[in-house]
Amino acid sequence: MKTRIKEFRARHNLTQDDLAKKVGVRRETIVFLEKGKYNPSLQLAHDVAKVLKTSIEELFIFKK
Amino acid sequence: MKKEGRKIDKARMVSMLLISLLVIVTGTLWSVKAFMSGNVTGGVLGGLIALIILGFAMLVYIRGNRDMVKGFPLRDERSQKVMEKASSMAFYVSLYVFLGIGFLSEDMIPFRDVSQATSVGVGCMALLFAGFWAYYNKKEI
Repeated sequence: MKTRIKEFRARHNLTQDDLAKKVGVRRETIVFLEKGKYNPSLQLAHDVAKVLKTSIEELFIFKK
Repeated sequence: MKKEGRKIDKARMVSMLLISLLVIVTGTLWSVKAFMSGNVTGGVLGGLIALIILGFAMLVYIRGNRDMVKGFPLRDERSQKVMEKASSMAFYVSLYVFLGIGFLSEDMIPFRDVSQATSVGVGCMALLFAGFWAYYNKKEI
């Protein structure tokens, strides 16, 4: 899975710490999400997308 | 809501510390008792387990405390998932460890009694959990 979290985070001038605090998760979770090394729950994906003012489809690219 | 979460996190930290302390004290007592009765292997094993748990507890405490000061939650869905994976794997592997202990205790390892063999098994379970936690914490899940 690929994500565009880093790109959207930069657009909103947010650090990983800021995004983690806004979403209510640990910083490592954001790090792993950005690397595409963690498959989040629908709830977390929705929360991240909401903070970054975008949709889940824009943020997460699922490839088989 | 956030204040409530922080209170729960603090309570979690204190309970984790207390449990770790109990394990360390028990491990140390076990080690001292084994040394005093001339069982060097048991003494070294008990001391080693206590030391590893002490290191693991310190790591968890330092990380947790640092994150709490910065305003991050102690647990989130990823850390919960890592804990669940690590504990289930530790449980499955420990079934074989207990089977192995049962087999080896027949004539290869002279355990003092059943409680000593059980203690070794439980110690191995704790070490397995620490190992799997470290592994899954770095791996893609």
